[in-house]
Order: sequence, then structure tokens, then C-alpha cells
Amino acid sequence: MSEVITRKSLQDMVDAWIGQGRFAAGPVFVKPDVCMYAPLASGEQLALDGFIHPANSIKEFFFPRHEKIYTYRFKGHRLELDDSEPAKTPQLILGARPCDAASIAILDRVFNWDYKDKFYNLRREATTVVSLGCAGYDNNCFCTSVGLGPAAEKGSDAMLLPLGDGEFEIRCFTEKGKALFTGKTQTSSKEAKPISGPENRVDVELIVAQLEKNFEDPAWREIALRCLGCGACAYTCPTCHCFDIVDEGNAAGGARVKNWDSCQFPMFTMHASGHNPRSTQGQRQRQRIQHKFRIYPEKFGETLCTGCGNCTRNCPVELGVLNTLLSLREYALRNLNEVQS
Amino acid sequence: MSEVGVFKPKIIAYVCNWCTYLGADLAGTNRLEYPSNVRIIRLPCTGRIDFNLIIKALESGADAVLVSGCHPGDCHYTSGNYHARRRWILFRELLETLGIEMERVHFAWISAAEGRKFQQTITEITEHTRKLGPYTAYKKLCEAGV
Amino acid sequence: MIDQLRQTCRRLLDEGKVNVIIGYGQNSADGPAYPIFVTKPEEVGKLVWNDKCYANLATYLTRKDIKALGKPAIIVKGCDERALVVLQQESQIDREALYVIGVACDGVGNPRAAKCLVCDVHRPRFAAEVLGEASASDVGNGRYTELGEFLEKSPAERMVYWMEELSRCVKCYACREVCPLCYCNRCIADKNRPTIIDTSATLKGNFAWQIVRAFHLAGRCVSCGECARVCPAGIDLGLLNLTLARAAEEHFQYRAGIDPEKTPIIGAYSLEDKEEFIL
Repeated sequence: MSEVITRKSLQDMVDAWIGQGRFAAGPVFVKPDVCMYAPLASGEQLALDGFIHPANSIKEFFFPRHEKIYTYRFKGHRLELDDSEPAKTPQLILGARPCDAASIAILDRVFNWDYKDKFYNLRREATTVVSLGCAGYDNNCFCTSVGLGPAAEKGSDAMLLPLGDGEFEIRCFTEKGKALFTGKTQTSSKEAKPISGPENRVDVELIVAQLEKNFEDPAWREIALRCLGCGACAYTCPTCHCFDIVDEGNAAGGARVKNWDSCQFPMFTMHASGHNPRSTQGQRQRQRIQHKFRIYPEKFGETLCTGCGNCTRNCPVELGVLNTLLSLREYALRNLNEVQS
Repeated sequence: MSEVGVFKPKIIAYVCNWCTYLGADLAGTNRLEYPSNVRIIRLPCTGRIDFNLIIKALESGADAVLVSGCHPGDCHYTSGNYHARRRWILFRELLETLGIEMERVHFAWISAAEGRKFQQTITEITEHTRKLGPYTAYKKLCEAGV
Repeated sequence: MIDQLRQTCRRLLDEGKVNVIIGYGQNSADGPAYPIFVTKPEEVGKLVWNDKCYANLATYLTRKDIKALGKPAIIVKGCDERALVVLQQESQIDREALYVIGVACDGVGNPRAAKCLVCDVHRPRFAAEVLGEASASDVGNGRYTELGEFLEKSPAERMVYWMEELSRCVKCYACREVCPLCYCNRCIADKNRPTIIDTSATLKGNFAWQIVRAFHLAGRCVSCGECARVCPAGIDLGLLNLTLARAAEEHFQYRAGIDPEKTPIIGAYSLEDKEEFIL
């Protein structure tokens, strides 16, 4: 026995939510062949099938790509500062893939570590995440290699599992999830059978051991040769969270803002002195993998990757985390063979 | 003197130091009146005028922009205005594709002796912009959060 | 043809004529192709050539990490080769020191990429050697049809379109990094004393960035289409670049990367440039 809801009911739910002046987001076909998580202007825009994974992630609804921290004004010789009020509008994310929902639980750690980021936390408290179980996967997905899967519950307040014919089984995990769906579902004898997901593509434990042993591995230079140093992977990644704080304004005043940043940009670690400790792409790629698979787990007990595959899908040159890990293994095995022979 | 609620166009004029700026000065010394809606920004030469400056004027809420310099052949730096002209020809096309109202972006050659032309040009542009109304489109997109 | 390509590359490496082959590789026949850098003769078997070879490899010739590998040979399609012409005109590469292997190309993508349907450079024209034969014939026109259709919208509609499209831009700069002609060591977008372009991914910052990039490519963009292909947000950047490419052709009879002898349009001027729009 299960609780079931129809697509129509979900659309109505979104319309009612928005009608109350609240914010809703979900997968939308912004173009016929481009699906992205985007704010919903109506329930009709919501896409619940026809895609594997949207081109972006849901982190932007908790950690926006641009956020004002405070504004400032020059009044003669005086400077006036106004703290920016973080957004508290209730948010509904409907249709997040399980790998995206899980990322929020992972990001909670760093945003509540040495500083409790109120911008992040207020949005987090105000948001209900309803995930959408996967009916398929592609060659870029590797959620099962990092402890997740097509119906993983981590980070979700509730989950929709496709039954076909515009119907979804709904499973509520938290009070927020229950509050959202109470009274909107029908009991049914149908039960969803989630798919099992991709087979294990890479042994992450072995990778971590390799990362610990061999920081100066020359393989990094080779692996990163084709990397162009853009931010496509970091910006579409559900768990990447680096940011840059800059002032934007003119002689009258302006604002201090927090913008996304990518460790792959050549200027990411440029010092004011002109020295750049990560001046080659190999060093920058190494840092990304180390951060995701060794440093963040050591600090917070969570792998900073949910295997969603966005990095590879969006990479102009087909790099991405999975390919990098596989190349790393290949080099390790090759070196092992050379040593043994 | 000013009435609340009446639209007062803001015109930004990027002018070259050697011709148009002196032409504006000549208009002044000859007591030729022209609307005070124009904010004149002096640069050494039209060749130095980055197309970005036009965008920045629109970002700041300008209702119209004028870029003006020496006539071809008269550039104080010999060829600055030729380079500028070439860039303007190309940049206008980009502005068109973006949907920016081309009636609000003007280019002119006004020499140091053409005080009257400066007066006429500014007056015409101001009146024309007054009829067009405020240019809210670019300012709106600048104020949008994300 | 692929055997010929691999043999050629093997020979170049064996004879020490080049230190690195910049070409395409592929993990499996039905997987995507991607750029690879072959430095050992015995690894030329990794090189492939097929209709998945989208990347414009010319972008690697100006990158510090690749230049450090030594004297390069590069595999180019006709569209990529146009970028080589522009790089040569701008003194960014030394054609004498670069071994260019041209591949005749019937187009990439399935269905064919839009750029391939209007291509008139199926066969590279200045390569040291050209491998393969292209059965597709060069198309003389239609380059700007998509742009023409777009310009039928009113200015207000166009502005609404761009506000919608550029709201999705996240400033990842994939467009910049993949472009062979965006090679500045310090891009204007990264300048911060003072800041010229807002780095924020707001509409203001996104408009400023895309306008600057399109205009800095005026008369230089070779319409390889990579920027639009790699944009994670699916923004049709081609419309902006085609605008300037068409302007260059209409006003100055110039197409970037076609004729190495013609003077580039920016940085030059003519006493006869038309000025009917100037008051």
C-alpha cells in the first residue's frame, strides 16, 4: 500500500504555493533540449520526465550565484553600511534528483562549521525539498559509487517515485514533507519499483588511498592537459561551494557581494604578491579531487560528491570527476605494472 | 522651477577634448543656449572611447547617449576618429541584436568651430529623447537581482 | 583514413619533428570524443577521427601548459583551421613551427551541427597535409539565416529574449576558455584594479560580459560554434557572434580566417568607411 499523487495534483500544488507569494522551483525545459532547475512561474512548467539530470543543480536556491552581503553609501566623508536581509521566503523545490537532494545535507556541514552562514541557513529552514526518483541513468551517472542511488533519501523531505501514466508514489520522510502532502494524496495498491542504478564505476576507497599516498603524482599534469580551466564543472556541481567576495559600486556607493568561484580558474589562488601556488591546471585538478574525496571527508565525514555526473555532462572536453578518477586509477595501475615488471 | 513628475531626460555625451568639447565651449562663450540635460564627459579622443562606456552610461540610467568627436581628417591624433568610426559601425549592429533602442544612441562629428552645431545637436537629441520617454529597459535589467 | 592519420603522427614523433600531437581521442566508439595530447610514438593508436570530434583544438596552442610540451602538431577541421589563420595574423602562433594536419570533414554531430549545414571549408586549405576526402560540398550562403530570422523580432522582443537567455548565464566562462581567439593572459573580465566588468552573474554583469566578449571578437570570431555548444545553460551565443561576423562581411567584405593576406578589420580603418548614421 502506498500514497499516490498525480502530476495534475502536483501542478495544482505548485500553483497554490506560488499563489501565496512563495517561491517554487523544479526541472524546466528552458529550451526544447535544455532542462534546468529554474523558478516556476506556474505548475505547468514543471518537467517530471524526459531528462536524466538537469544541466545545473539545486544549490543555487540555498547558495545563490550572487548574493548581497551589505550595501554601502558615501555621504560626504561618512560611510553608511546597511546589512542585507537574507531571504526567508518559503521555498519549494519539486523534482530534485536524489543526488541533488543529498548534496544539501552534505553542504550543511561546511556552512555551519566555523561560521554559521545565516544566508544559507535561513534559506535552508525555509525550503522543502521533494526529490524525484530516477527512472533511468546515463554513462555520466555514478551515484552508486559514492553511496547513493536512484532512490536515495538523503536530504529529501519527501520523494516522488514514478509509477507511469502521470502518477507518482509519494514517500514523506520529515515533518516538512508530511505537512506538504497531507490530504493531497490517495492510497493505492500500486508500489513503485525503483531501478537499481548504474553499476559501481569506480572504487572510491582505493582512490582515497591513492590520494593520501601520492600528492606529487606526475599523473596530474597529464590528466589535466585538456582541462580548459573554466567553471562549468564547479558551477553545475551540486556540492561545489567556493565563493569570492567582491565590492561592486562606484563613487556614490555599492554593495559587497558573494559570488560563485571555481578552483579551476587560473586566478583562483593568485596572491596579491603575484605568486600563484596552483599555477598549473594539473595542480588545480588535483586540488578539486583532493577536496572532494579526501579533505572534505576528513573534516566533515562526507564525500563532497554525489555522483550526479553534471561535471562530465557540462565539461567542454569530457573531463569531469568520473573520468579523472578513472584516469587516476589507470595511471596507478600502470605504475604498479611498471614497478612489478 | 522644476515640476515634479515631468520627465527630464538624462543625456550622457562622451566628447573628444580637441573638437567637440571646444565646440561646446564655443557654444557657451557665444551664449548659445542648449538644454542642461546633457552631462558632458571629456576624453582625449573618440579613439579612446571604449564601447563599454556606452554600456556603462545605459547602466547608470542614461536615457540617451551621444558620442562625438573631430571630423574625419581633423583628428588631433591623426587617426583616432577613423578607428572610432570603424568600431561604431560594428558596435551598432551588436546593440541592434540585443534590442537596445538605437534611437537613443547617437554619433556625431562636431568641430571646435561648430558651436551652433553642438547647440542644435544637443537640443534635437534632448527633444527627441523627451518624446521617446525614459529608457527603463537597461536600468531595469541592471536592478534585477539575478 | 584513421590509419593514415596515426601513421603520419607516428612518423612525426619518431623523427622528432614534433614533441606533441594535439588531436582527438575516444574511450569507446559510441562514447564522446575529446582532446588528447600524444607525446609517445607508441600511443598514436589513441588518436581517432569521426563526427564526434567537436572541439576546436586551436584553443590549446596559446595555453601555457600545452606550450610547455614542446613543438606541436595539430589536427584541424576546416573551421578550426580558420582560427589558426587568425592566430597567425595576430602573431600568437608561428605557423613555421607548427605542423598542421588537416582532415577533410563532412560535418560533426548527429544530426549535423548548424554550422556544418552552411560550411564552406570542408577541406582545410593551408595544412601541411590533408587527409581524407569530404563528400559534402561547400555551401556558399545561408550563414546568417538564423540571425536574419531573429532580427525580425522587434527591438523590445529582442531585449526580452536576451533578458531571458542571459538570466541563465552563471559566468562559468566556458565560452571564453573554449574559444581559440580568447587568449588574453588577463581577460578584461578578470581585471580588478579597477573592475571593468562586474563578475557577478546578475543580468547587468552577464550583459556586460557577453557584450564585451562578442565585441572583442569582432572580425576575429571564425564561427566554429564551440561557445554555444559548451554553454551549460544552452544560451545561443552564436547570435551575438554572428551579428558581428555579418557586420564584418557586409560593411568590410571581410571574413575572419579565410584569407591570411587580408588586413583584419579592427585595428585598421579606411577613409571610405561609411558614416551615414553619424550626425
